[in-house]
Amino acid sequence: MVNGIVLEMKGIEIQFPGVKALDKVDFTLRHGEVHALLGENGAGKSTLIKCLTGVHRMDAGKILFEGKEIRPKTTQEANRLGISTVYQEVNLCPNLTVAENIMIGRQPMKRGRIDWKTINRRAGELMRRMGMDIDVTLPLSSYSIAIQQMASIARIVDVNAKILILDEPTSSLDESEVKHLFDVMGDLRTQGLGIIFITHFLDQAFEISDKLTVLRNGKLVGEFAAKNISKLDLVTSMIGKDMNEIYNLKKAKQDTAAPVILKADGIGIPGKVEEISLDVKKGELVGFAGLLGSGRTETAEMLFGVVHTAKGSVSMNGNTLSLKGPLDAILHKMAFCPEDRKRDGVIGDLSVRENIALAVQATRGFMHPMPRQEQQEMADKYIKMLSIATPDAEKKVGELSGGNQQKVILARWMATQPDLLILDEPTRGIDVGAKAEIQRLMLEMCEKGMGIIFISSELDEIIRCSNRIIVLRDLGKAAELEGDGCRQADILAIIANEGIKEVNA
Amino acid sequence: MRKLGGSAFLRSKLFWAIVAEFLILLVGFILRPDFLNIQLRALADGTRVLYGTPMDILNRASEITIIAMGMTMVIALGGTDISVGALVAVSGAIALKFLRWDVLVYNMPGDYTVKPFVFAIVLPLAACTLMGLFNGALIAKLKIQPIIATLILMVAGRGIAQIVTNGKQFTTQFTPFKFIGNGSIAGIPLPIIITLFVVVSVMIFVRKTSFGMFVESVGINPSASRVSGLRSGTVIIIVYILTGLLAGISGLIYASRISSNDSNNAGLGYEMDAILAVVIGGTSMTGGKFSLFGTVIGSLIIRTITTLVLYFGIVSEAIMAFKALIIAIVIVLQSEPVRNAMAKRRGMKRSLMGGELHA
Repeated sequence: MVNGIVLEMKGIEIQFPGVKALDKVDFTLRHGEVHALLGENGAGKSTLIKCLTGVHRMDAGKILFEGKEIRPKTTQEANRLGISTVYQEVNLCPNLTVAENIMIGRQPMKRGRIDWKTINRRAGELMRRMGMDIDVTLPLSSYSIAIQQMASIARIVDVNAKILILDEPTSSLDESEVKHLFDVMGDLRTQGLGIIFITHFLDQAFEISDKLTVLRNGKLVGEFAAKNISKLDLVTSMIGKDMNEIYNLKKAKQDTAAPVILKADGIGIPGKVEEISLDVKKGELVGFAGLLGSGRTETAEMLFGVVHTAKGSVSMNGNTLSLKGPLDAILHKMAFCPEDRKRDGVIGDLSVRENIALAVQATRGFMHPMPRQEQQEMADKYIKMLSIATPDAEKKVGELSGGNQQKVILARWMATQPDLLILDEPTRGIDVGAKAEIQRLMLEMCEKGMGIIFISSELDEIIRCSNRIIVLRDLGKAAELEGDGCRQADILAIIANEGIKEVNA
Repeated sequence: MRKLGGSAFLRSKLFWAIVAEFLILLVGFILRPDFLNIQLRALADGTRVLYGTPMDILNRASEITIIAMGMTMVIALGGTDISVGALVAVSGAIALKFLRWDVLVYNMPGDYTVKPFVFAIVLPLAACTLMGLFNGALIAKLKIQPIIATLILMVAGRGIAQIVTNGKQFTTQFTPFKFIGNGSIAGIPLPIIITLFVVVSVMIFVRKTSFGMFVESVGINPSASRVSGLRSGTVIIIVYILTGLLAGISGLIYASRISSNDSNNAGLGYEMDAILAVVIGGTSMTGGKFSLFGTVIGSLIIRTITTLVLYFGIVSEAIMAFKALIIAIVIVLQSEPVRNAMAKRRGMKRSLMGGELHA
């Protein structure tokens, strides 16, 4: 307590099947400090938090809480110690009143009955202290997300929390709501609470935080004082430029006279994504660079028809797509490995064979089934070609490691023999070896004439593999660069550009 | 590998469902050795028909088994269809509207033209198919939760049946129609033959095309299925249409058995029995992998229990409670902890014996 340290996590290690989620990560939080935890998806931020709140068991390392070693096994246990989390999605009961939500579980009793008067008065006070003068007897659902979030913070503060973890609290708030949240965070800071603030918004991290800790690929990059680091340095540290030397991949020279395969003209969704136009030539690898939420995934989903495109047109090999759904894109020889492979990729309970055959079968329709023999041959071929680690083709795909699941999805799309393949973060969350293999495969496919759109948070990957790079920022296209001779610094400058302007203004 | 597969089967719900069915039959056999007897009996009109409790179980399980084929896929998609019982009533009502023994329309009991008889088969089935389409469209296009969407027809269906027949209960003496539920071919009651035909047809449709895989895929992960190019809406609509059609067939068998329509009681509670048959058969309510064969076993278990209870003349007030008790035992037997414990015990015994051999 003398040095003001409330929490110390030392040498935390967690091993998930096939990937080291956290590798000797240290994290220190002081009383009266807002500490931002930064990193791209899969960097290990939430894993670290879940370790602290008892969701994950760590394999090595220790947690010192107010000088004493703790090992919370459940969230309840962490709560009792004074470690509480407010999630992005508010975890309260929308049909109960605000007061009930705040006081539930420790409601004051009077003569064996619940003392509603005290509940409502106390809850009202708590909300007022956070600058929210609202009627706490109305259902929680009648208020905005911002107020709901305040209610869950009020609940936590009332149970004497010592550490408050805010997991992406601002992603569904508007500007004034964010400001209000920051005011509350400032108040809590002066009261001596340690606050861990997880966010993707760098501006916000700079605005409110005292310290910034950056993770990348499960490793600690460093702890910085917010005053002493520039935004550009921060972006660089988040995205990193490691592993460059591990593989010596040579990208093929792009034939400038090659025919255009994909052409998108002014596609966009009003209010969500700006108009974007782009084209991809035969055998060309186009990289999409940009931070998460910059519009890279949204653009890919528009091209493939996963989300409904309000304006613009997309054509493949000169044929205009209907954009009504993925099937039309697939029939026109487009393929798409989505970012969230658990949600949009694997069919966990189906076998490797069925997962690989699925897209081809979809193009044929269910009345024209592929013979079992053909499915089997197809599965065996890709298991061998992509060296998918599975005992046989009948194993449930959900039982494979992340990298192998990714390969199964890749196999599903290679089996449709597409002219254009979109890969959204194909290398995220898989180990270095599998990463290298997937990149090698991409380049091979390009050489055989396939056009590829490659989306990645790791700039070195993008630069190494791409013939052309499209930089996205704030849901729009910011720049288009030639892949050869492109430097990370150029891209980083474009990505960080907007933020710097704001700071100056 | 083979050993592993064997143990997985021992741990599957289907295995325990089969065990349960045999146990129930065994209890019947112990209490009354003639419980399992089958004999060929001549009827008054000279036809010979197989007779005995096992035949009765198979015969009377028809209605639920047929509906449960569709329900299996509905549940595999993560849905439920609680309108099937009401559809049974609608089917019967429409059929009887054409076949009623009504002096105003027909003068003699045998005086039915062929044309109304075709209507009496085709129109009920068409109506139920349409109602299935209605369910499917609400679920696939308007994204209404299946239980809510099918609740509409569950409530409205019996009303529609009442309207069709002006709230009357008709009877028919038209022999071709009565043959559906009461006749037999080569000694086998016709409902059994119809059920066999339906079960085999659905199995062929599901497993010889890729439809079953599509249903499972959409049931396991709708989002990934869509990205992979499956038209999940089409799959959902086809499944609900099929379920509606099957409920219609079931309704015809029911109406034929009682030679009448009964808007209030026809198919009453069938939706729950069908869901139960599916679940006992090993298909999870959360959707995904399904087993049509398991569902057949599930349906037979339910009917065997009912028959057992009736056969031993348990007072009718106690039948429901008794049935519930046996079903509870079956479900406990199938629950995951119990299955794992049983598999483990068997495994231990085996390894113990192995140890003794070594010693």
